[in-house]
Amino acid sequence: MENIYLAKKVKIIKIEEQSPTVKLFRLARPPAGGFSFNPGQFFLLGKVGYGEAPFGALSSPYEKDFIEFAVRATGTVTNFLHTLKEGDEVEIRGPFGNGFPLDFIENKDIVMVSGGSGIPPIAALTEYIVKNREKFKNVYLLYGAKTEEEILFKDRFEKWKKGGIKVMTTAGFVTDLIKDIDVDEQNAVCLMCGPGPMIDAIEKVIRPLGISDRRIFVSLERRMQCGVGKCQHCTTGNKYVCLDGPVFYYDQIDKNYD
Amino acid sequence: MIASQAIGGSSILPDRMVKFLTGQGLRHEFDSRIPHMLIIKEQKIDEFLEKLKEKFEVFDVREDKLLFKQYFFPAEERIFPVSKPPKKFVVFGLDPLDLEALTQLDEIMSKPKEDFYYWQRRKQALVIGIEKDMKKLAKDYGEFLEEGNLTETKVSDWTNSMRQLLLDSELLANAVEWSREHKIWEELAEKCLGCGICTYVCPLCYCFSTEDSVGLDNKCARCRKWDACTLPGFAKIAGGHDFRPTLKERYYNWFYHKFVRAYKEYGKSQCVGCERCRNQCPAKIDILEVLKIVLDDYGKYLSSQKS
Repeated sequence: MENIYLAKKVKIIKIEEQSPTVKLFRLARPPAGGFSFNPGQFFLLGKVGYGEAPFGALSSPYEKDFIEFAVRATGTVTNFLHTLKEGDEVEIRGPFGNGFPLDFIENKDIVMVSGGSGIPPIAALTEYIVKNREKFKNVYLLYGAKTEEEILFKDRFEKWKKGGIKVMTTAGFVTDLIKDIDVDEQNAVCLMCGPGPMIDAIEKVIRPLGISDRRIFVSLERRMQCGVGKCQHCTTGNKYVCLDGPVFYYDQIDKNYD
Repeated sequence: MIASQAIGGSSILPDRMVKFLTGQGLRHEFDSRIPHMLIIKEQKIDEFLEKLKEKFEVFDVREDKLLFKQYFFPAEERIFPVSKPPKKFVVFGLDPLDLEALTQLDEIMSKPKEDFYYWQRRKQALVIGIEKDMKKLAKDYGEFLEEGNLTETKVSDWTNSMRQLLLDSELLANAVEWSREHKIWEELAEKCLGCGICTYVCPLCYCFSTEDSVGLDNKCARCRKWDACTLPGFAKIAGGHDFRPTLKERYYNWFYHKFVRAYKEYGKSQCVGCERCRNQCPAKIDILEVLKIVLDDYGKYLSSQKS
């Protein structure tokens, strides 16, 4: 019987400070395609003694040698991860969940919306789109953070822009960025990941664009603890964010009180 | 085959029992679906238990408030470093409701993947249920339950009424889902102490949390512990946002999981009507009464929609 709670040990090959509170961890991928993932899927990262927490992978899914995560120091696990150095080991299991619907979004205008530390899964998706740019029409990335210094991955924006992504950032609400968007609303999709108030952005940004709820994909944040649909911590309505999500059609979850 | 392994080919068991355990001639609704389970008549129990105890560690749950689930899913269990599976053991004395609950728990712990720690214990266990009031009585423990079914068992009036409601779990699911804005949840939140005892004594509550620790000797460990969705912070995430900040929301979620999410996931309510939550609740909350009110008002709502 497979122990579904057993994590793999991997080495940290690089640590980068992205902001005063966020560090990027580059982990060595085991050979033979270990940790292959779909942009939007999450992993549980941590260490026995300190705990595990869910993180969306941010590196390109095509990257063979490593997998990257951004960690904001906010709790026991994340503060512990921040004490680690290059060469140290962490424990990881996953990937879990569904990820973004890569086939469905082909040949469409893409609006990616992200806020604060919700950017990692969107970053992985951006990398995927850059690699397959000819399969997509107009591609926008709207990204807002509270302050300028909290905008992550600034060093990657140039590469993404060269790759045909219209990257728009703001120190404030992404709602401010809407005026510069031009999409065919009948052939556009929206993919989002961000903190709770980001959902407001749907009402204020996406609705006015005329994109229907079935073309809006929202990645939800919950406390995915077991990752396998048992512990009940990540439930919202009748869904498990760890199994059914974390990416949902907007109309699957917009009525949920929890 | 599994069952006969569990009892180690012991000679204390009459041939018929071995035959029963090996799956021949089983007609009881539980048997073929459940490994390591058998049901005996409530006769010669003491003699039977003594013989069992000579061979195995036996946990007799007949008078146990914390019930059988703790032997497969302990209140606190170290999961890393991974501990070895226990020696083969016997959990003795489950009543028919508990057996039904265990059947469901086995299913829950198998989908979508097997829960390693639950099954590590469960597969080592022989579960013995007792059927108290069968119409056809057996002469001794050599006659195992081959006829009859659980509906012939005498249960309390409360359990009987609850099981009547559970027969239509689709209606329960619809009614509880509809009832979120019902004033009853506000009233219950006033009454409920938020202690979580209802979830601990429930044979079908299984939420858990993992907790890590580092000892003074620098040794690390990860434990998993029973959690309760009615306790504060159950749906809290990093950064402090809580998706169910009030007791009203958490208490509703307890019902929502049992009767709505469970129905959508498994096609049945996660309740067998054992009455433990009602009996142990310090605030004397009675889920049957709650469900009756919800069903009643849902019925009124439906008929108002028709006219």
